[in-house]
Formats: sequence, structure tokens, C-alpha cells
Amino acid sequence: MPPFSGELGEVRGRGQLYGMVTMVGLALIVWSSGPATKQRIAAFLRQTVLRPFVLTQQGIAQARVNAATADLLQTAVDSLEAELINQRTLREENAQLRTLLALSERLGDNFVAASVLRAGTAGSESILILDAGAPQGIQVNAPIIASGGLLGVVREVRDRTSIGVDWSNPDFRAAAMTEDASVSGFIEARQRVFGDLDRLLLNGVPFHQQLEPGTQIVTSGLGGVFPRGIPIGVVDSEAESRAGWLRAYWLRPVVNPGEVTHALVSLGPTGGGGLETAFDSGADSLSGNNGDPDDGLPRNGGVR
Amino acid sequence: MRGGGRVWWVVAMLVVAHFFLHVGLGLGGGAPDLLTVALLVGARETRMGNAAALGFAFGLLEDAFSVLAFGANTVAMTIVGASGARTRDLFVGDSLIFLVSYMFLGKWVRDLLHWISMGEGARHSFVEALLIGAPLEAAYVAVVGVVVVAVLGGSWETVS
Repeated sequence: MPPFSGELGEVRGRGQLYGMVTMVGLALIVWSSGPATKQRIAAFLRQTVLRPFVLTQQGIAQARVNAATADLLQTAVDSLEAELINQRTLREENAQLRTLLALSERLGDNFVAASVLRAGTAGSESILILDAGAPQGIQVNAPIIASGGLLGVVREVRDRTSIGVDWSNPDFRAAAMTEDASVSGFIEARQRVFGDLDRLLLNGVPFHQQLEPGTQIVTSGLGGVFPRGIPIGVVDSEAESRAGWLRAYWLRPVVNPGEVTHALVSLGPTGGGGLETAFDSGADSLSGNNGDPDDGLPRNGGVR
Repeated sequence: MRGGGRVWWVVAMLVVAHFFLHVGLGLGGGAPDLLTVALLVGARETRMGNAAALGFAFGLLEDAFSVLAFGANTVAMTIVGASGARTRDLFVGDSLIFLVSYMFLGKWVRDLLHWISMGEGARHSFVEALLIGAPLEAAYVAVVGVVVVAVLGGSWETVS
């Protein structure tokens, strides 16, 4: 005999309650699962359901770059034509083209160029999506470098894409020093107070060493993640001093993550060791450099 | 097209539009949280268990780009989905005041649950995130939600 409608409704209601409890339980299991499981789920979703949206952003970013570099390419073509007319050697023409890739040339062949994409979803504020992955030789913990300096670090590597975090991520850390290596410390990100920008904090500076505002801070190479000599920021002001032992300084980052559309990813240890000579005032070929080479700030030292 | 089918078609379009605006165009905070609007509209059309499943699926999609707080959106949207369906038993959704309140509170509660689930390391202060930022985003969602329901017209809430 079929149940009365009230009885049927009660059974359905109980089923819905069990269903709700099950889904909340599943959500809590996903939330509390290990990092490897989370990465697998996220990567699966990015490479299947959400892949068209990622490809759309890649296409738009590429079109934007194409439009922005049209003048540059025209200049290159004009230069090449001029070179051919002047009967210069092929080697010279090649060198002319390479000057357009200023930073890449200075860094050597141990880097791969990648477009930087942003997800724009809740909780992904400091996450970067790079359109290069394992086939290009990218590895986890590889430094991501924009033309101005350090942008972030790779966290996940897949077949076609990599996921990285920029320096504004709360987990970001880097060993740092002044350009003349006289003062060292470590860099950490501090989230913005409302209306302010994310900032970097140079921590662990010995109390007896004071830094002048404007002093350039670079990676020190300690820890082996970041090569030595990548610009991070310039000292803005002193943040705090702890009981006569340590000082901390606010830094003005040389790279604004939100403006970066292309970056270089390190493929391994640099042949010559550090990158001290790679970043000079001419390194403006990639976007994202808000450091002004002619800002009159001290570049070496600055220690009081 | 029947009323219920039309609602689910609009929900699907909202989901696609959300990821197109946020991921495809990379608009970030400039684009409204259409995923929450879709969840809140869908939750009023189905029962609690199904709405929780809908929230679970939406949350997983949103979390796909979150490295540090993976699962936070899933938890938040699952609970909001179930709660949204539960409101059908408590409120008749035929007034503008109810609709605005439903969308506003739905989005704010979703942000609250997301903030709680994120963990201390990855989140902003309570005042900044939930008393200043979240109400603005909730108002944005409420406006968009009213427009969506206006588009749906008589199709809104077809489940008896």
C-alpha cells in the first residue's frame, strides 16, 4: 500500500536531511584533507571543467601582449632592415634582436618565459597561473622573476601550467641582504591594512646595523631557493626594534604583482652563481617594473 | 520552457558567467559573485540535500584556484546552499524586501564561513573583511540577485 502523502513527505524530508549532512561531511573532509589530495582535486578541476576559462584568459593575455609589443616588433623589423641595408653580419643582427630581450639575455638560458594569469576568484588573491609547466623544465620552488626583480615562487607544476604564489602571499619567505651584502635578514609579506597596499618586511636585521631609507634589498641566496642578487625592494622606514636585539624594516617592493603579465621562471641554479649584474637600469622590457632607475635612491650599501 | 527548467538554465548561465568574468577576463573583485547568486537562486528551487550538493560542487570549482585555503569555499557554499533551501520552509519569497535580505545575508554568511574556514594565516582582519568589505560585496550581490530574479519573473520558486 502506498504511504500517505504526509508519510511520504516525512521520508523525503529525512532523506534530504541525510543528504545535507553527507554533503557537509564531504565538504569538511575536503577542507581537512592533506595538501597532496587538495592539489590533485584542484588540478583536476582546472584541467577539465575550468580549462576553457583559463584558456580564455591566456588568449586575452596573449592578445594584449601582441598589441602592446606591435610597436616594439616594428622597431625590430626596421632595425633589421637597416642592418641588412648596411650589410652587417648575421651575428650583429642577432645581437640587435637580443637587445630587445634585455633581461632574458642578461640572465642567460637558464630561465623560461611565461605569461602570468590571475584566477580572480575568492581565496586566490596571491596565486599566479603560469602558462608553462613540466615540459618546459619548471620545477616546484622555482623562483619567478619579473623585470624589476623577485615576483614569487612556483608551488605546483603540471603538464601545461604551473601555479605559483607572489610575494604578497602570507607564506612567502626569502633570505635577503643589502646589495653590498653588509646587512642580511629575511623577507616576509605583511597583509595590507584597509586601504593600504601589501608590504614586505625585512626582519631579523641585527640591532647595531641601521639601514637608510632607499637602500636596495636583494636576495642573498641562502636556503638555495632564490639565486643571489635578485632585487626585492627598497627600504621605506623602520618597522620595529626588539629589545635592543633586532630591527625590522618596511620595504617598498620593486615589483607590483598586479601589474605583471609576463615573467621568467628559473630552471635551476644559475651558471655564474648570482644575478647581481642582471638587473640594471635597462631592464624594462617586461611589464611589472615599478622601480624607477633614476629615482636617486642609493643602490649600493646605504648602511648607517 | 517550463518555469523550473528556466531557473536551472539561468543558474547554469550564472555559473559560466562567473568563471568567464573572474577567471577568463581576470576581473577579480570588480565582477559580482555570480556563483553565490546562482547558489542562492538554485537553493530556493530545490530541497536541502540537493542544495547542499549544489553548494558543494560550486565551492569545489571556486576552490580550484585557491592553494592555501582549499576547501574553505566548499564548506561555506555547502552550508549556505543547505540554509538557502531551508529558508523556503520559513519565508515565502515573494517580496522585494525578502529577496534583497536573502541575497545580502546569503552572501555575507558565505563570506563569514569562508573567513572562518580560511585559517588565521591567509585572512584579513575581521573588521576589514566582514564589517567593511563583505557588506559592500553583499550589497553588490543583492542588486545583481534582484536583477536575476526580475529576469526570471514568474519562474522564481516553482517547487511546491
